[in-house]
Amino acid sequence: MSRLRKEQLVGLLMVSPALILLAVFFLYPLVNSFYMSFHKWPLFGKPKWVGLDNYIFMFQDERFWESLKFTFVYTLTVTPMLFVVALGTALLCNAKAWGTTFFRSIYFLPVVMSFATASYVWLWLYSEMYGVIIYALEFFGFGGEKKNLNVWKTGTSSMWAVNAMVTWKFSGIQMIILIAGLQAIRDDYYEASKLMGASRWQTIWNVTLPLLRPSIALALILSIAGSIQAYEQFVIMTRGGPSNSTKTLVMHTVDMGFDYFKLGPAASLGVIIMIILFVLTVIQLRLFRKNY
Amino acid sequence: MRRYSSDWYWYYAINYTLVIIIIFPIYWTLISSFKKPSELITSEPTFYPHDLTLQYYDQIWNFDRLKRLQDTETEDSDSSGVEIESKFRLDGEGVKRPFINSAIVSAGTIILTIIVCTFGGYALTVLKTPLKNFFFLLVILPILIPGISLIIPLYKLLKDLGLTNSHLGLILIHTCGMLPLGIFMMRNAFNSIPSSLREVAMLEGSSELKIITSVMLPLAIPGLLTVMVFAMYVSWNDYIYAFIFINSPENTMLNISLMKIALGGSQFEMKWGSLTAGSIVSFLPIIIFYTFLQQYFVRGVTGSAVKE
Repeated sequence: MSRLRKEQLVGLLMVSPALILLAVFFLYPLVNSFYMSFHKWPLFGKPKWVGLDNYIFMFQDERFWESLKFTFVYTLTVTPMLFVVALGTALLCNAKAWGTTFFRSIYFLPVVMSFATASYVWLWLYSEMYGVIIYALEFFGFGGEKKNLNVWKTGTSSMWAVNAMVTWKFSGIQMIILIAGLQAIRDDYYEASKLMGASRWQTIWNVTLPLLRPSIALALILSIAGSIQAYEQFVIMTRGGPSNSTKTLVMHTVDMGFDYFKLGPAASLGVIIMIILFVLTVIQLRLFRKNY
Repeated sequence: MRRYSSDWYWYYAINYTLVIIIIFPIYWTLISSFKKPSELITSEPTFYPHDLTLQYYDQIWNFDRLKRLQDTETEDSDSSGVEIESKFRLDGEGVKRPFINSAIVSAGTIILTIIVCTFGGYALTVLKTPLKNFFFLLVILPILIPGISLIIPLYKLLKDLGLTNSHLGLILIHTCGMLPLGIFMMRNAFNSIPSSLREVAMLEGSSELKIITSVMLPLAIPGLLTVMVFAMYVSWNDYIYAFIFINSPENTMLNISLMKIALGGSQFEMKWGSLTAGSIVSFLPIIIFYTFLQQYFVRGVTGSAVKE
């Protein structure tokens, strides 16, 4: 056996665990999710071809539209919050000053906490009567005389409460992406703008932000794709309530599959989520390639 | 640098305010987990614990569900009202077993990911593997389709393979999810190593396996650590897979067992005490990773290092 032949064989052998894992736990489920979405899955017996019935069932289900609408509202509200905090901290951390590394590592700290743990932590901060955020809000006069503030009372207040948690937890990732973009801007631009007598805000507005555009787009797409996959924070903090007003698309899928055992419609929901995320990630990757 | 202008006072004032805001929820959880119940549940919050107690940690760590069940059965078997109450109290959950489960899954994911990605990255970079570029594209593909959209077919698959309720099922799924980042990172790491090193080792008659372990891997440590850190992050912080694929109490993962405390109707102050203590327990391993390997978290997010 020639040396080349042997090396080829060794290479195939070494890459095979990755390929097997990929085939079993990614490619097969991927194909199967389409197959499942076109079949009816009774608890016993064989699956039956039903064409587009699962999709029709899903589209006629009001809960689907409610969860879709809520997921979009959540995405549209949390994305600007995340972005403003991320941009602010990124600009702060990009200053040439003592301590930026320390500040940056603190701002990134909540990112490493799991969404689940962060949700439990904030559940305590928001706890009715004894949560520290509730104290603070009541101290500033929210909740009226009776002091019975409960952020989980309405869907809107629940969503903003979760948004605050997510902003705390997740803006660090976008900050890092923006910092990487900021570092790619050459100093010449700043020097030129200084020579022209631009103020700090003029420089940020006219030099930094336009040059940062690819990173900004990347950060936004990342936040949008992440918000569409929202699950833990709502399952733990609001449990979809009050009266299903904070149910996300993924929560609806899980309910459909594992509470109502309608695997067909749940699989078709998965396909819909997949298509939305696929489109977003393709855009993201194109930006990524331009950026790095 | 205009170090002494008033700008810098603002700069530090804003930064330190933000630091306090970011740290506060974690600090508050930490001190809450050490406060006595009377201090925890009060209308006058204290900003540091006046009396330290470890009772919540003791409660969640040493909680024995079966023993508790037997105790309450002998205690109050007569009135039905008490029975219901005691049943609610049983919703409290020990986290020792779930902690071990999560540790097993994380360790398994880290080890398997490192093995699979090292070999995969090596074969797709250094060796003349046929269809190299095609395989690389295939391995990167899962980036386009997040696993969350495949939960239904994945559940079906695990069920058919008999891997629901098992650590192995979760380990395999997490490892598969790590493939794109892992192989990408290892490929970059091996790419930056000069090929002459390998040729010298080959002339000395080393086997491919020996070359990987003694020549290539020591030089690929930054990439390896990035992969390790993210494998830990993905597996330790997972919630949805652990929630859907694991049903039996003895195999519950840590994040899920905390949900049982949060939902539990155990006495009010015990619930919040246990939940904060549980949150700290679940945050501890990952914060240790973060403290020592911070730069690798950053590297994994941007695909390259952010300058210091």
